[in-house]
Amino acid sequence: MLLQEVATAAHPLSDTIAQWMWLLPVLPLAGFVINGALALFSGYHRGPADPAAASHDHGTTPGHAHDDAAHAAAHAEHASPPRHRFAGLVSVIGPAVLFAAFGLAVAIFGAMSSTAHLEQPFVQRYFSWMPAGELQIDAAFQLDQLSMIMVLVITGVGALIHLFSVGYMRDDPGYPRFFAYLNLFVFFMLVLVLGASYPVMFIGWEGVGLCSYLLIGFWFSDKANADAGKKAFIVNRIGDFGFLIAMFLLYANIVSLDFVGISQRASDLAPSIVTAICLFFFLGCAGKSAQIPLYVWLPDAMAGPTPVSALIHAATMVTAGVYLIARSAVLFALSPVASLTVVVVGALTALLAATIGLKQWDIKKVLAYSTVSQLGYMFVGVGVGAYAAGIFHLVTHAFFKALLFLGSGSVIFAMHRAYHATHSHADAQDMRNMGGLRRFLPWTFALMWIATLAIAGIPPLSGFFSKDEILAGVFARAGHSELAEASWLGIPGGPLLYAVYGIGLFTALLTAIYMTRMMIYTFHGPNRTGDAEQKHLGEAPWVMTLPLVVLGVLSAIGGWLNIPELFAFLGPPQWLHHWLDPVVGAPTLRVAGGEPAHLEPRTEYALIGAAVAIAVAGILFAVARLRPSRLVPKEQAVPEHGFGRVLANKWYVDELYDRVIVRPVVGVSRRLLWTVTDTWLIDGLIVNGSAKLMTFFGRIGSFLQTGSVSTYAWAIVLGVLVVLGAFTFR
Amino acid sequence: MNSMRFDLSRPFDLTFALAPDLVLMAGAMILLLATAWGAETPQRQRAVGRWSIVLCVLTLAGVIYMWVAGHTAARGVVAVDAFRWATDVLVLLGAILAIAMSMDYLERERIDIAEAHVLILFATAGMMLLAAARDLMIVFLGIELMSIAVYVLAGLNRRSLRSAEAALKYFLLGAFSTGFLLYGIALVFGATGSTNIADIGAAVLERDLATNPMLLAGVGLLIVGLGFKVAAAPFHMWTPDVYEGAPTPMTAFMAAAVKAAAFATFLRMWMEAFPYLNLAWHKPLWYLAVVTMVVGNVVALMQKNVKRMLAYSSIAHAGYLLVAVVVSNFEGASAFLFYVFAYTLATMGAFAVVMALAQTGERGQQIEDYAGLWRVRPGLAIAMAVFMLALLGFPIFGGMGFFAKWYVIQAALRPPSQPKLAVWLVLTSVVSAGYYLYVVMVMFMKARPADAPAPLKVPGMTRFVIATCAIVLLVVGIWPRPVLSVARRSLPQLVHLTEDVPRAPTTQQ
Amino acid sequence: MRDFLAGIGYGDWVLPALLVIPIAGAILIYVARIGRGRGDDIAAGGSARVIALVTLVAEFLVSAGLWWTFDTSLSTWQNVVMKPWIPEWGANFIVGIDGISLMMILLTTFIMPLAVLGSWTSVREKLPAYYALLLVLTTGMIGVFVALDLLLFYVMWEVMLVPMYFIIGIWGGERRLYASIKFFLYTMVGSLLMLVAILYLWIQTWQAGAPTFSYDTYLRTIDVSRTVGLLLFGAFFLAFAVKVPMFPFHTWLPDAHVEAPTAGSVILAGIMLKMGTYGFLRFAMPLFPDAVLTPVVRTTMLALAVIGIIYGALVAMVQPDFKKLVAYSSVSHLGFVMLGILALTLESVQGALMVMINHGISTGALFFLIGMIYERRHSRLIDAYGGIARVVPLFAAMLTIVSLSSIGLPSTNGFVGEFLVLVGSFRTQPIWTLIATTGVIFAAAYLLWAIQRILFQRVTHPDNERLTDLNLREGIIMAALVIPIFWIGIYPKPILDRMERSAAAFLTLVTESRPAAGAPSGE
Repeated sequence: MLLQEVATAAHPLSDTIAQWMWLLPVLPLAGFVINGALALFSGYHRGPADPAAASHDHGTTPGHAHDDAAHAAAHAEHASPPRHRFAGLVSVIGPAVLFAAFGLAVAIFGAMSSTAHLEQPFVQRYFSWMPAGELQIDAAFQLDQLSMIMVLVITGVGALIHLFSVGYMRDDPGYPRFFAYLNLFVFFMLVLVLGASYPVMFIGWEGVGLCSYLLIGFWFSDKANADAGKKAFIVNRIGDFGFLIAMFLLYANIVSLDFVGISQRASDLAPSIVTAICLFFFLGCAGKSAQIPLYVWLPDAMAGPTPVSALIHAATMVTAGVYLIARSAVLFALSPVASLTVVVVGALTALLAATIGLKQWDIKKVLAYSTVSQLGYMFVGVGVGAYAAGIFHLVTHAFFKALLFLGSGSVIFAMHRAYHATHSHADAQDMRNMGGLRRFLPWTFALMWIATLAIAGIPPLSGFFSKDEILAGVFARAGHSELAEASWLGIPGGPLLYAVYGIGLFTALLTAIYMTRMMIYTFHGPNRTGDAEQKHLGEAPWVMTLPLVVLGVLSAIGGWLNIPELFAFLGPPQWLHHWLDPVVGAPTLRVAGGEPAHLEPRTEYALIGAAVAIAVAGILFAVARLRPSRLVPKEQAVPEHGFGRVLANKWYVDELYDRVIVRPVVGVSRRLLWTVTDTWLIDGLIVNGSAKLMTFFGRIGSFLQTGSVSTYAWAIVLGVLVVLGAFTFR
Repeated sequence: MNSMRFDLSRPFDLTFALAPDLVLMAGAMILLLATAWGAETPQRQRAVGRWSIVLCVLTLAGVIYMWVAGHTAARGVVAVDAFRWATDVLVLLGAILAIAMSMDYLERERIDIAEAHVLILFATAGMMLLAAARDLMIVFLGIELMSIAVYVLAGLNRRSLRSAEAALKYFLLGAFSTGFLLYGIALVFGATGSTNIADIGAAVLERDLATNPMLLAGVGLLIVGLGFKVAAAPFHMWTPDVYEGAPTPMTAFMAAAVKAAAFATFLRMWMEAFPYLNLAWHKPLWYLAVVTMVVGNVVALMQKNVKRMLAYSSIAHAGYLLVAVVVSNFEGASAFLFYVFAYTLATMGAFAVVMALAQTGERGQQIEDYAGLWRVRPGLAIAMAVFMLALLGFPIFGGMGFFAKWYVIQAALRPPSQPKLAVWLVLTSVVSAGYYLYVVMVMFMKARPADAPAPLKVPGMTRFVIATCAIVLLVVGIWPRPVLSVARRSLPQLVHLTEDVPRAPTTQQ
Repeated sequence: MRDFLAGIGYGDWVLPALLVIPIAGAILIYVARIGRGRGDDIAAGGSARVIALVTLVAEFLVSAGLWWTFDTSLSTWQNVVMKPWIPEWGANFIVGIDGISLMMILLTTFIMPLAVLGSWTSVREKLPAYYALLLVLTTGMIGVFVALDLLLFYVMWEVMLVPMYFIIGIWGGERRLYASIKFFLYTMVGSLLMLVAILYLWIQTWQAGAPTFSYDTYLRTIDVSRTVGLLLFGAFFLAFAVKVPMFPFHTWLPDAHVEAPTAGSVILAGIMLKMGTYGFLRFAMPLFPDAVLTPVVRTTMLALAVIGIIYGALVAMVQPDFKKLVAYSSVSHLGFVMLGILALTLESVQGALMVMINHGISTGALFFLIGMIYERRHSRLIDAYGGIARVVPLFAAMLTIVSLSSIGLPSTNGFVGEFLVLVGSFRTQPIWTLIATTGVIFAAAYLLWAIQRILFQRVTHPDNERLTDLNLREGIIMAALVIPIFWIGIYPKPILDRMERSAAAFLTLVTESRPAAGAPSGE
């Protein structure tokens, strides 16, 4: 990177280790370059994996959830093709850069927390990126409390997942390519959170989208996977459209796109403009963070290798939207309408996804929808102006959801090895084929239960604190805040927020139910894998289990990041809240309507009680109702009917979009635009038509050319008459 | 040298003023007598051809002498001005090229009629008279002298039915149109009491005959007569048949020289005799030009035979030249000369290629016969492409053709500007790309059919003609200044306005 | 570097040299064949491609000096050379450059050697003619970009036409005859009307007593009535709109692109399309600002530009033929350029210039890649492929990178251009820009869908199993194109700096009333 005119003179961090923050993204980038080169030039003759190439085919079995471990396992058993020749080198570089970055991040964090008054963000300018006219966009990074948290999550969780992948992808021929993509993703993700202006952030924003595209379609030989990748990218593009327009609006109105400048001039914006900007930004968030109406890509994204689902589609990328809103808090705080929109959409998404999650059989799909639902929670949080709460849930969610995914990963890994050993074609991700796995995967079993309880909101696990914080926030704002005064589509804000709170509670109930359901069907009851397979089931190697353990610990204690005042006896209260105060404090205050949102301890106890009660109720309900013993393996399973089918088919939203948007667009383009307008009208009628007309006249001309003198003479006479006539009657 | 001022009423002066024409005629007579005796052999034919060329060159020298001497004349039967000499140069150039071509042609077709060359000379003499004529009688004389020789030339190939048919058609219709011409002259004389162009102009001016029906009728008939000679629609119908049937070199001669001469006198008449009826004859000529451009270009699209295609293209070019007549100002005159120069080279060259490619007996003149020519005769193909692009008026690759068309357009845009006419010219030019490029396409982009006969070896003279035309076109196309400045200075002298040669209006800076 | 170049008087001879070198090369090709017989296949005519390559590399090196000698602080013409040509008509040989032409020249000289490399093995017959035509074409294109005399400009404008006509018509695909004639006529209709318009302007100066074709004089002196101005602008508009091509004058493009040989498509897309937008920037709009600023005219043009963006993208999406898809995508990209130009803000105009450059690189690269794969499989149909990422990873990587830059992924060149255009245009034309921005969605749709069907999924055609990956020559071509993709994407400042003054001057010319103060002036 060209380190030009680093304009960071006065800032307290300028001569701490923080000045090396540009290394954070550069490290993974280096990893990408090396691994990428290895992938490209070693795989020169033999391409990446293809199920068809494996000894027998997992990819095309009807109803087979297209998962990967298939191939990993395949190669484990009959080592064909052999492990990638640079696998050793790659498995060092890939995770190493991440751990290095994490180390650096921790060091910087130390520096930050040891320096006093960091009201101003630490901005490092490297070079002028797009100077044109009044537009001055620098390639600059900005380090503040918010981006610090994000960096820690990304590098930390990222490092763990890289480690997990070393084991998980062990025998994949695309091994270096996989790590190259993964590193590249982390690079872009760091650019996203470190960027000092919206355009720079947009680099990361689109970059992560690209990586998710590449990683979802990692086993691109399968049409479904490639399709899923494409779908993800295009849906994200729709979101990016919003992001772009929002930037244009900002620039057109306050001629500034960097966060510092905007925070100074945001107040100059007209209310309507702010609302427009925020809504367009939120469109971007809806795309990236899979909210209504753009959530449809995330479940399909599960086609990617499970570590990818864990890193990109649970822990980091999908939370970028939440980060964006927190980052734009200054703007959102100015527009109650936009904030309320965020709240409503978030709540509805949470509810919708949760309902769908109830009826999914594919273990990863359950987790996917639960991710969507949890993201909904986060948006409710940032929507009501409880930005710290939203970020808090983002962090804890990163812990337990990553854990859940990695856990499901090791389950699938085990299932596949089993099926592969017996050459079975059964679906290794369908919970109906699992059951009773606790005997075979004790570690995974225990850790995943921790995560489940956490997400369900059982104290004192992390999820409980963060979710409670959000719900409490909603309740508080419903009582008294800017939002409560404002109205959304004619609905007064107060009641609306109470309704949202209700939805939140109900969703918590559903969450508890479907998560418990997943656990029960997976680990409890009789084993439905099949007797032959059972002897092959077993815990994964330590590189995969270790990250699980670490994440388990984090999911358990993550709540201590931000303990409510109520439980001050547990430790320093509201740490995260205070930490983020310089960034989102003012907006939070503004939304809260002057004084910090506060609830009577009694109300607060009541709320907590309600939440916990709901969670427990959900779990108990699930335990009571569900009969794993009654389950039959997928093959013999009878299709759902009634409302259950609607849920199982995800409310038919995909079908709807396909009918209403995709097909019409393609159809119109093909028939109306191409065939009719282009080929027929412009080209056929006008262009070639005029040529035909000419030749037609020509034919007439040569037809008159009879060759007989008399004709010609008559023609001359005619001409004479015309000419004389012209003279006579002019 | 000191430039004289002829008084054409004095025999000596008149003779002097006509010296080049007389030289040519006398020489032609002698050659005719010389050829009358002795057997018809190829060698003789070539010898006569060579002598004819020599004679043309001598005449050319004479013309250039007169030109450089810058003699002038008072009003009289003939004009002595640069415009005349320039026209002479052009028709002589056409004659030389035509003779050169016909030497090879006659040999190949085994027609050992040495008189052919002499006839060309007589026709040329007639053209020179036309260029000089400032009296309608002289005009008539010139036209007849030219036409009769050309009728014969058209039917030169006695073995070919089409040639004979062409000659007959040309003769009949020519006679027919001459009738109109003569009648027109009579009417004009009746109206103005003079056949002298200058006097007519003066009479029209003094006695304000602008609306005199008899005069107008006369003018109309003159348009018809000349329109026939220059092949303007709708008096063009003879052209394709005659051009196709006539021996190729004669076709070339007709397309280039005949047209040039007829136009020269057309222009002179309209600048000198009828300028003040501008309004009266402007509209009909305007439409005549448009119709001619449209008909020529559009019908050309449908032609399969190269010579017919070139015939229609020559009609189209008549249309472009009519634009110069419509504006008939000094710009128009020099534009006309410049254009005719380019047109002569391109047409002559194109017909030379056609001739070179035709098998004995004028076979192989369908455009399709040129398929893949580039692979077997790259030189010819490239030359032909140059001529086509020149006729299309394309810069650099079309050489001078671009500036020629350009010059006419800008003449048309001069006040009183005729933007509509210019647009018509341009649009019809686009149409013309349709058939000119088609030839190029066939030559370069179509595969040569396996059974296609190998083209004959191109004889020296033809090769010389083709090369000259192509090279001159290209050179002038890049560096048009010399030709341009000459054209700008070769303006007709309008004696009834002023007694000395007018200098071109404001364009000089 | 600057001093050295100044030492050899570089600035005074560079532009004429750039015009002469290719011609010299073309002549050399034939000189080198004297006494070698008629053979013109690769074996016998191989010398031609070598000479062409050397010549064009030399051309590039010569032109490269401009990068350093160009003075970004000036808004006047630089390296001006003026020689009398036809004084009687006031036509002169005037050449000179500003920031806009500078970039266009460098783009041209950069693409041309690659074009030769691209045709290295794909052109198998009539090599001398082919490479000679490429060289002549180069002169023509450079000429268009440097001409400051409208007659010279027109001549060069037409001169480009013929070599491309032959290249398409002789070395093209199955429907080459139709495509070539269509290309020629389409362009000619417009340009001939432009000739009339030029002459009309010239007559004005002639009446003023000093006939001239000098662009600068026209800038200062043109004074025509409103209607006439509209008509003249219409003539120019037609000529340039066809070249751009703007909807609905675009239908020559798919045919020409598809039928042309690889180098032909590359040059068409990479350079020739820019002549249209360059024409608008240099001539049509500065000469007739009142006409452009007439609301109805401007709205119509904006509408056409935006329609082009959406329409091109949608039609591209449903093309079965990859080359045609890219062709239609060009319509879309050039729509962005026109939008940027018409929005008349500094950002948008500079963005438009960036898009011109980027499109030259990215689309050029796409056509190269299509050519490379076509050479192996002799099919351009998307369905003929699928899953070849496994077989030819390097090709796959390149195609992905280039497509992404064409989609406008940030950190590639594509983004910089489109972003600047849109962010700038939004200030004056928010609604049109809003619609135009949806183009980025469709762009992703059609290109990703295409590369998915080509690179990913299962290998369905057995022939594809045996495809060979890029060889060294092809690797060099792609490397040469991929480097600028990232360079411009990450650090476009040097280019933007060089163009800023000229863009500003353009704006002054169009938006300020005559006599234009900041107008570039050669005198």
